[in-house]
Amino acid sequence: MSLEPFAPSRALTLGVELELQIVNTHDHDLAPHAPDLLRVLRGVALPGDIKPEVTRSMVELSTGICDDHRAVLAQLRTLRDALVDAARRLEIGLCGGGTHPFQHWKRQRIYAEPRFRQVSALYGYLARQFTVFGQHVHVGCPSGDDALLLLHGLARWMPHLIALAAASPFVQGEDTAFDSARLNSVAAFPLAGRAPFVTTWRDFEAYFDRMARTGIVSSMKDFYWDIRPKPEFGTIEVRVLDTPLTIDKAAALAALIQCIAAWLRAERPYVPGEDDALVYGFNRFQACRFGLDGLCVDPTDGAQRTMRADLLALFARIEGHAIDRHAEPAIALLRQSLQEDGNDATWLRRTYDRERQLAEVVRLQVARWAATDT
Amino acid sequence: MPPVPVPALVPDLASPDMLLRVAGVVVVGAIAGEWIARSTRLPRVIGYTLAGWVAALGGFGAALPFDGPVRVLVDLALGVLLFEIGSRVRLRWLRHNPGLLATSVLEALAAAVAVGFALQAIGQPPAVAAACAVLAIPSSAALAGRVAFELRADGQVTQRMTVLTALDTLYGAVALVLLDAGLAAAGAPDPRIALATLAVSLGGALALAALLALAVGAAARRVDLRHEGAALLVLGLVMLAVLGAQRLGLSTLLVPLLAGVLLRNTTERAWSWPRHFGTAGGLLVLLLFVVVGSAWSVAHLLGGALAALVLLGARVAAKAGVVWALSGWSRLGMRKGFALSLTLTPLSATALVMLSELQRRDAGFGAQVAPIVVAAVAGVELLGPVAVTIALRWAGEGPDAPAVVTARAA
Repeated sequence: MSLEPFAPSRALTLGVELELQIVNTHDHDLAPHAPDLLRVLRGVALPGDIKPEVTRSMVELSTGICDDHRAVLAQLRTLRDALVDAARRLEIGLCGGGTHPFQHWKRQRIYAEPRFRQVSALYGYLARQFTVFGQHVHVGCPSGDDALLLLHGLARWMPHLIALAAASPFVQGEDTAFDSARLNSVAAFPLAGRAPFVTTWRDFEAYFDRMARTGIVSSMKDFYWDIRPKPEFGTIEVRVLDTPLTIDKAAALAALIQCIAAWLRAERPYVPGEDDALVYGFNRFQACRFGLDGLCVDPTDGAQRTMRADLLALFARIEGHAIDRHAEPAIALLRQSLQEDGNDATWLRRTYDRERQLAEVVRLQVARWAATDT
Repeated sequence: MPPVPVPALVPDLASPDMLLRVAGVVVVGAIAGEWIARSTRLPRVIGYTLAGWVAALGGFGAALPFDGPVRVLVDLALGVLLFEIGSRVRLRWLRHNPGLLATSVLEALAAAVAVGFALQAIGQPPAVAAACAVLAIPSSAALAGRVAFELRADGQVTQRMTVLTALDTLYGAVALVLLDAGLAAAGAPDPRIALATLAVSLGGALALAALLALAVGAAARRVDLRHEGAALLVLGLVMLAVLGAQRLGLSTLLVPLLAGVLLRNTTERAWSWPRHFGTAGGLLVLLLFVVVGSAWSVAHLLGGALAALVLLGARVAAKAGVVWALSGWSRLGMRKGFALSLTLTPLSATALVMLSELQRRDAGFGAQVAPIVVAAVAGVELLGPVAVTIALRWAGEGPDAPAVVTARAA
């Protein structure tokens, strides 16, 4: 099987996918109601789409193609409201967060669809343990070469995005000490991590063909990279973000990625190189483990700064692009996370410290997701 | 020195002879449960019932009305299950989903009306038909809940089954109190006395339920009820309340069920304790279903068979018809609606406890009602849980079948 051609799309357009948790409203454990939720929503006119995911306690929403932060937020709001309304009729809860804090993987039910059954049969418990919830952001690219250039340019900011979006401190009832434990589950898959350093679409096709010939992969879906090209959409897809607790945070993160991409395209502030990979693993670990306080090593000069300091400097540098793209409210919200609120992992830990019960944390997550005033 | 008499909470239960019998029932029930689970993959609760059923067939069944230690045991076990089920009922769901509210009210009403008319049509006296109609309202919340627990079922059918069975048990228990008051008023010189009795019965049950809910709520804020040891505190409180209801002559069904519902609906806070209170609750469940399975005799069965068949037919048709007809409105879909309608068919412990209450109030009248109800319960006791199992599996709410793992990649 060979790679499909790269379908060009308008540069810097956005698309957002969010994987959501479906929980019961009794003890707030994950609950397999996805088929019912999708049935209730059938026939409702919505921007974008709402789809099943590998287990029946997850559902994925996705926006259509958006130009900027405002459009993303408006579409997410419509989708969120429709989902929350349907969930009320079924007396179930929906929430963000990268992991469910106390679900047991063994109890998860695989969604009855051939691809999901196949994934489950192949990966065994990994498929169920992969009950984690992420935000994916697509950025439109006019060509495959543009896509790869953007992919490697953005790679340097993956640790920072991980730290900002981290929302999975609890796994199987325990505090993992990580801000984003979700990414540790992703790492168990054979083709996770960084995409290979190839900078032209022709070379990428050759790489894909070599992989396909070994029989390891048959489509782009078999790569679980942090950022991967999505040729049929004409986009690159950033996959490191935990699903935030609110749509406002989700829209803000998408807007930030768009602004960074715009900055990279317009100013080419650095040339991505193969050596970026040397520090990538260290920086990524720091982001997952320590969140915004994690240390980040600059691949060019070896300087160490915290993710927080790097991000504040970044916000200053991309300000013009943020204004052009109506993203100032998004940057303001993220700046507040840096300076006051912390990331969503901080919120989850604070809530647990106050309530001393993970079920209660999930209940408050559900309330936060549904809150229409945020 | 003469031995100091130890005051026992329930003297009969503490007698060595009784304990021996309880131990025997536990062993036999557990063996039957394991046998069923291994040979058929059906829930163990069917094995417990089967053990009782066979005992009754041999003439060793529990006598009705439940009395002495048997009554204590049945009330306690059922009370614990009903409290747990009540604590899963979110009334706001009925507000957000009017189709579900309509389903709940109409399935209970239709069952009562259908059974009442059908029994009168075959010549039963109106009062007997009315009593049977009331006893036909509740579905077996305890049985359905236990089957779902053993199957580890989860999904809309399971969730709705819990709410509908809890609510129709609530309607049934209230209807029984009203029936009681009606019967008393018919025989009493002053109807005001009957009205006062009614107020005391319902008000008392509500007050005791509120007390229990308050106590459990207070306990939950201080200890972590997810641990089985801490959950024993809740178990103890529920048992105290049920025994209190028994002493005060209040409904032992209403008090725990209402307490659960009150607890769930007066605060948003998440409650979590081990389902069915872990091993201790499991022991009570085993005893309950062995006893309930044995509460019939061949004589009862022969005496009430025809009327029981009519009752069952009318009841199933009414309940299933309403649930299925409203499944579109309540946003469940036809297929799952059919599965849900099957889960409401069992008739078990609740009906027998209600019958016992009726018999204790008026032995003569109770004797007229008993053969019909007992025959009906004995007739579906084993079919009911099988129907629930099939329905939940068919709705896709049981666990996944094990996936076939191949060594092939992609």
